[in-house]
Amino acid sequence: MGSTSSQLDKDALSEYQELTFLTKQEIILAHERFSAMLPQEYKGATNIRLPMEKILEMPELKSNPFNKRICHVFSTSQPNDGSLTFEDFLDLLSAFSEAATMEIKSHYAFRIFDSDNDGTLGREDLEKMVTLLTGDSKDTSLNGEEMGQLINNILEESDIDKDGTVNLSEFQHVISRSPDFVSSFKIVL
Amino acid sequence: MIGELERQGLGNDFPGDQEPPRLRRAPSRASDRNYPRYDWSADPAEEEDGAGNAEAPPEIRTLPWPMERKRAVRQVQQMRAHVSFGAESWRRNKTKSLRKLQQNVREFLYFFSLWRKSLQKIGGNFGGGVKSYFVFLRFLVVLNFVSFLLIAGFVIAPSLVRRSAGTGGFVNSTDKESCLVYDPNPQGLVVFYEFFLHLLSGTGFMEDSFMFYGYYNNNTAVEDGSLSYNIPLAYLFTAAFYFAFCLCCIIARMGTAARVAVATGGRAIGNYSLIVFTGWDYGCLGDRATKLKQKNIYYRLQVDLEEERIKKRAASLTPWRKVALYTLRVLMFLIALGLIGTAFYGIFEATKFSQENGDRFGILGLFIEYLPSIVITTGNFLVPLLCDQIALLEKYSPSITVVVALLRAVVLRLVSLGILLFTLWSQITCSGDLEKEDCGNCSYNNKKYQCWETSVGQEMYKLTLFDLLVTIALLVLVEFPRRMVVDNWSSKLSQLVGRQEFVVPSNVLGLVYGQTVVWTGALFCPLLPLINTIKFVILFYCKKITLFCNCRPALKTFRSTTSTFFFLVVLLFGWGLALVAMIYSLAVIHPSYACGPFRFFTTMWAIVPNSFYSLSEVTQEFLFFIGSQAFSIPLFALSCVVMCYFIALASIYGRSVAMLKAQLKLEGQDKQFLVKQIEKMKRNNI
Repeated sequence: MGSTSSQLDKDALSEYQELTFLTKQEIILAHERFSAMLPQEYKGATNIRLPMEKILEMPELKSNPFNKRICHVFSTSQPNDGSLTFEDFLDLLSAFSEAATMEIKSHYAFRIFDSDNDGTLGREDLEKMVTLLTGDSKDTSLNGEEMGQLINNILEESDIDKDGTVNLSEFQHVISRSPDFVSSFKIVL
Repeated sequence: MIGELERQGLGNDFPGDQEPPRLRRAPSRASDRNYPRYDWSADPAEEEDGAGNAEAPPEIRTLPWPMERKRAVRQVQQMRAHVSFGAESWRRNKTKSLRKLQQNVREFLYFFSLWRKSLQKIGGNFGGGVKSYFVFLRFLVVLNFVSFLLIAGFVIAPSLVRRSAGTGGFVNSTDKESCLVYDPNPQGLVVFYEFFLHLLSGTGFMEDSFMFYGYYNNNTAVEDGSLSYNIPLAYLFTAAFYFAFCLCCIIARMGTAARVAVATGGRAIGNYSLIVFTGWDYGCLGDRATKLKQKNIYYRLQVDLEEERIKKRAASLTPWRKVALYTLRVLMFLIALGLIGTAFYGIFEATKFSQENGDRFGILGLFIEYLPSIVITTGNFLVPLLCDQIALLEKYSPSITVVVALLRAVVLRLVSLGILLFTLWSQITCSGDLEKEDCGNCSYNNKKYQCWETSVGQEMYKLTLFDLLVTIALLVLVEFPRRMVVDNWSSKLSQLVGRQEFVVPSNVLGLVYGQTVVWTGALFCPLLPLINTIKFVILFYCKKITLFCNCRPALKTFRSTTSTFFFLVVLLFGWGLALVAMIYSLAVIHPSYACGPFRFFTTMWAIVPNSFYSLSEVTQEFLFFIGSQAFSIPLFALSCVVMCYFIALASIYGRSVAMLKAQLKLEGQDKQFLVKQIEKMKRNNI
């Protein structure tokens, strides 16, 4: 498995502990899982980027409807193609960890939902989000009229300054009223 | 406002090549997006770094930036920490070491988290509602185990030592000789199956053991030196402390759930946004669970949209139809009340019959002994079923139906236990009338109960055991066959019935009932918490097996966080019931003359004033002062003031939230007005 050659050194481990919400065991486990996904010739090298297709094979992300958006949000690659380095991977796990604060989770949730990356959730973003949530199959997709009614209701409830879009603060305001959000926005290896 | 901002590019493929964080790159033409991309890295927290160090800098990991950026900020912070002197850096170091300590404690507790992997698997496949049941069960297991350690340490261990040290109890000379007759374990030839009978009903060899109250002695253990351990006093205080300890645990656990439940407030507002923004469970594993969750969300949205459309289209009901609906509801309420009342009467009769005919032998005797448990369990099973059918006729909205059903089930379970206790009490104390001939001699019913505390303990033990046996029997005889029938025999009936669902509320009420029984019985049966721990552990594994093998995930899910709060509230009701029973036994009923650590006291509580006078003068005066009015009235006034302060604070926060919301709305309108003005001016200039 190549674990001895690609083990984290102590300094890196304590640095990651300080910069993320993960515990020591979680960081080590993440390192093992990430190394297991690396192709044979790159094992032991640092700063390698895993392409998005490889990341999406992980069982925790495989069936998640938002998996592609998640990879795009946490990727720091220049042409944003969704590939992740190990540190991006740690950022991802930290945002989805048990100890992460509500602010971090709501911030990243907002970015995941913002498909066009314009900083607000407009009608198209909301429509794409609802389609991903209810699934693509015929018996679980809302028709046009229902979708329009739903989007209108959402905007009426959350758009406080009435500009037709939901910005980050309005989103966080809605999220803060949900007791289940922090416990459901969780991915644990 | 948001122009064409370029996204800061950080992190690249070349190892060791890091860019300083503030370097901005030219917009990449290779990007295929034409929208203005929002610059997420221009965070207001940046300005804090440059501004004065009025408050501690935010913890780095709470900043939503990529790792490279966080690392750079950390280096800057460390350099600044080296430069600053005095109180600043001391404070910063203190917060840092505190955070490190918190982290280490969290990692340490990580190891002790029981059943972590199982809970994760359950949550991923069946959702948060079912997981909350198992989390609640785990909480009860830990609570019972810690309570057992408490009791073992303070009561059982010293009694063990005392027993092995020698003599039995001595007898004060009184004239109550008939009250002293007590023979729990008649020696003689014991038939083999009687061993099991004794095991199941807590009599015989089990009665004459550490299991029950009757075995403990009333003397203080005196060692060679001056070490003395007052076992009766320890027994009393341990029982009292056990109740207080359970209360603290429940309230502590309620604290987090309550804060969330209170803060969220009005649930009706923001329903659609909440479902869409927070509906997805990222812990869902596998295609099947994902599809199910999607169906679930679709179902909820559909139902809400449908209700809204119906409400808009429906004309208001004519007055006659309203009256008809309300009379129907009142009638159904009375029927439900009648059903519950019948169940109570049945329990009352069964308990009386069982206590009066409790000395038969063999299987029939066992059946009679277990009669109260059987009636309670049957009632708890049948009556909610019937109430569910009634609820169908009542036509409340779905959320109200759930609450009403739960309330009925809670009332049924807890009050049926209360009826059982009441019946026992009336048997023991001859319905409170101590002049009756049975009770006149020893001020409790000596003919039937030579040692009434042990009898009560036995009753609670039987209830606990029967609960466990029924659960296992249901599992083997009902749930597994049902699944096998549904899976292998396809017919209309089996499709209609289908695999069963894991119904969370009724299972939780079963747990609350079991825990209340244990609390009631703990004073009389000190080993009961240990038995309960083992029972709950077995229950965990049984329920887990049935969940994964026999159940299908529910389409309508149960909210997890508000429901945790509700479970704890119901548990608190059970605790209150047990507390009432304990206080009554301690303070009013005369302890048995023939057994137990409190013989020859008029009430169990009487030992406290007696021992009180053996304390030193100073302690006595101090305790008198605490109890006196000079201390308690100022304390009461102070707590009133503190409570008023918190209430005022909470109302002020609520009002400022409303004000800020209104302000936000105004600013949005201002912004739109200004934009329109700009457009108008542009048009005029052209």
